[in-house]
Amino acid sequence: MGSPDIFYVEDDQDFAFILEHAVREVKEDLVLSVVEDGRDAIKTLEKYALDKFRPKLILLDLNLPGLSGLDLLKRIKEIPFLRLTPVILFSTSDDPLDVKASYEFGANAYITKPTGYNNLVDCVRSLHEFWFTQNRSVN
Amino acid sequence: MTKYNVDLTNCDKEPIHIPGRIQSHGFLIAADAFDLAILYVSENVDFYLGKSSSDLLKMDALEFNVFFGSVANDTDLHQLLKLAKNQENFSIINPYKLLIKEEPYYLILHESHGKIIMEFEPATLEYDIQNLIGKSISEILSNKTLSGLLNHAAKEIKDIIEYDRIMVYQFLDDGHGEVVAEVKNDDLEPFFGLHYPASDIPQQARALYKLNYTRIIADVNAASAAIETYAKDMPLDLSHSSLRAVSPIHIQYLKNMGVESSFSISLISKGELWGLIACHNYSPKFIDYKAREGAKLIGQILSSALEYKQAEEETQEDFLLKEAVQELSGQLDKDSDLISSLIRHDVTLLDVTHGSGAGIFFDGHMYTIGVTPDEAALTDLFAWLKETMTESVYHTNQLPKILKSAQDYASVGSGILACTLSRDMGEYIVWFKSEKIAAINWAGNPEKPVEVNSANETVLSPRNSFDTWAEIVNETSDKWRELEISGVLKLREKIVSKINKKANEIRVLNERLKLAYEELDTFSYTISHDLRTPLTSIKSYTELFLHQNQSLDEKGKKLLGRVVAGADKMAFLINEILKLARVGRSDLQPVEIDMTNLVRELITEVVSALSAPQVKIVIGNCPPVMGDLTLITQVFTNLISNAIKYSSRSNLPEVCIDGQVDNEEVIYKIKDNGIGIDVNYHDKVFELFKRMENVKDFQGTGVGLAIVKRIVEKHNGRIWFESELGVGTTFYVAFKNK
Repeated sequence: MGSPDIFYVEDDQDFAFILEHAVREVKEDLVLSVVEDGRDAIKTLEKYALDKFRPKLILLDLNLPGLSGLDLLKRIKEIPFLRLTPVILFSTSDDPLDVKASYEFGANAYITKPTGYNNLVDCVRSLHEFWFTQNRSVN
Repeated sequence: MTKYNVDLTNCDKEPIHIPGRIQSHGFLIAADAFDLAILYVSENVDFYLGKSSSDLLKMDALEFNVFFGSVANDTDLHQLLKLAKNQENFSIINPYKLLIKEEPYYLILHESHGKIIMEFEPATLEYDIQNLIGKSISEILSNKTLSGLLNHAAKEIKDIIEYDRIMVYQFLDDGHGEVVAEVKNDDLEPFFGLHYPASDIPQQARALYKLNYTRIIADVNAASAAIETYAKDMPLDLSHSSLRAVSPIHIQYLKNMGVESSFSISLISKGELWGLIACHNYSPKFIDYKAREGAKLIGQILSSALEYKQAEEETQEDFLLKEAVQELSGQLDKDSDLISSLIRHDVTLLDVTHGSGAGIFFDGHMYTIGVTPDEAALTDLFAWLKETMTESVYHTNQLPKILKSAQDYASVGSGILACTLSRDMGEYIVWFKSEKIAAINWAGNPEKPVEVNSANETVLSPRNSFDTWAEIVNETSDKWRELEISGVLKLREKIVSKINKKANEIRVLNERLKLAYEELDTFSYTISHDLRTPLTSIKSYTELFLHQNQSLDEKGKKLLGRVVAGADKMAFLINEILKLARVGRSDLQPVEIDMTNLVRELITEVVSALSAPQVKIVIGNCPPVMGDLTLITQVFTNLISNAIKYSSRSNLPEVCIDGQVDNEEVIYKIKDNGIGIDVNYHDKVFELFKRMENVKDFQGTGVGLAIVKRIVEKHNGRIWFESELGVGTTFYVAFKNK
């Protein structure tokens, strides 16, 4: 099993569904892997690290059942193999406190979830542009 | 015998119980109570017994019988004394009637410091006085009122003992006396209503009036008789003697009044000397022992009637006051409004005292009932009370003499009775008593008997003039009675507990309100947060559907477009509510904010967001503000973007931002020349979801200013504005300096 291009932790199946479409809209062959639960996510990521699989981008929802997005972020940054993998917090919240905390915990970006499919497509396109095309050196 | 040099300088200290002399209408012999040896003899025995005092002093009382003829049996003085000693009581013997040189005499016995004092005086009454007295007493007691009682007592006494003038003389609070009843011969000038200074009857004289209920002075012009004795260093105590000589000062006093003989009966109420029945005669007069005892009996019966009548009149008055306090207490329980329960029912504060008005300062308002000084005067008085009053109750009947400004309202407020509700809040209730301009008619100048001699000592001298001397007492009200004060104290306790109870209720409500507010914040936060997710789904699915179904006709696309627009609008509103709820939930992290930078950055951001480059922005002073950076940023973002938004369509739009430091506050003003706010909406500006008539064409939700207000209040700041329709609006926002 290979590693996905984008590893996405999201409990909202609707949003995950829309995002899948948006990702496919941007680039047909991008591989998106969605995990719904924080604990499953960290297990999967630790396995990736063992197998030397490295996703190109990790997207984390902030409000997750069990481990929260911030907890997850902290754990990810503690895995040396994934230290340099860009992690983006992806949340409905625009609370400045959430934003501040995310950066403090080592997030590479904080993005408020765009509303609507069209905005999401724009957003994913821009993400892809930056992290997959221009910032190739990271990977 | 010991001589006392009594002059006018030591009258008040004069030992009048041991004058060493007796009045000469009788004679006195005193024997040792144990061996009956004669120790003291008045010098006038010679006149009565034909034997000199020095002869008698060598005798034994046993040898005395030779002088006495008896009315009934042979008089045996020795047996008599022995009998008295065994009985330890002389009242069964007194008066003992005997004959001296065939004339009837009374022997009156009493014991004083181990001596038996025998006083002999003429028996003059020829009929039995008992019947007369019984009739008089029932006559006196038939009166219902105090004054009727006193007048009839005076009249009955005059009928029995026939003095020229009978006065009932009452001692008032400060010791001076007033003639409250009088019966006199028609040719005499009336003394009724006259006042006599306290110094007219010195203390030790009053003490003797309490000891002996009657006192006779038979003839002020008769020379007194000295008491001879070998025991010159042991003056005979004559406290209980009826023959006791009169102080020369008092003799002079009576002479100055033209009185030649006097008789007085003590009136005692509650153990204290209430007054005297003073009987004056303008010629020498002597009434015998039995008449005096009869008068004494009337005095005693009058005393107890007095006590009873006075108590009865007070009880009636007390009852009404007490009932009013009771009634008011009940009203305080029933009526939740404090002021209403005190002044708006049938029974009011006015019924609790004899005052004619009352003022209350409570909860920032002044209330009055009855006759009171005007509000300005009350405010002044309450301020004075706050400054000076330390006890829970204060009263005076001469306020203008203590507080100068009270002279202006002396007529209505010479007396005040104040009680504290809360000293911190300056809350009091004050009752007022009006001025009683009283003219006191003194019998002569009351200051006169007290003079200062060359050695600067205060001197009592008997007054020469008894002409009426009127004194006007002003700026004085009736005194506040003990019962009025205790009633007010009781009422105060009730009121204070009611206020405390209410304050507690408010505190509890306040806590609940705070809790409810917090719950509401949490509720709005959670609900808006949770609403966002499905809303996003609605929008996203709609857009995805549109995207994947390009073949949809225009009408279908338009309808689904409406769904997306509705979701957008709802999302916007939810965001605004979230912001508002967040203000309540957030903990302030105050820092000093560099406003110059903040304002500059904001302006760039807002101008570009609103696409309003045509608006001219003037930035004045930007002093730093202490506050939470995120929240303060929100305040200024809102206010500045409002200013820019609503002036963007004006001719030469201009927005000025300027801050000033003023004492304890930093005040920012954000001024625009935009569309302005209608006066009718002035009080709705900060309300949630309220948008004005004239902003329909501008984007907005009506949440912005509500958020601003909450943030400012959370910082203990203030926000207000000035505006004119079509001219512009200026918002002011003030933050505390520290």
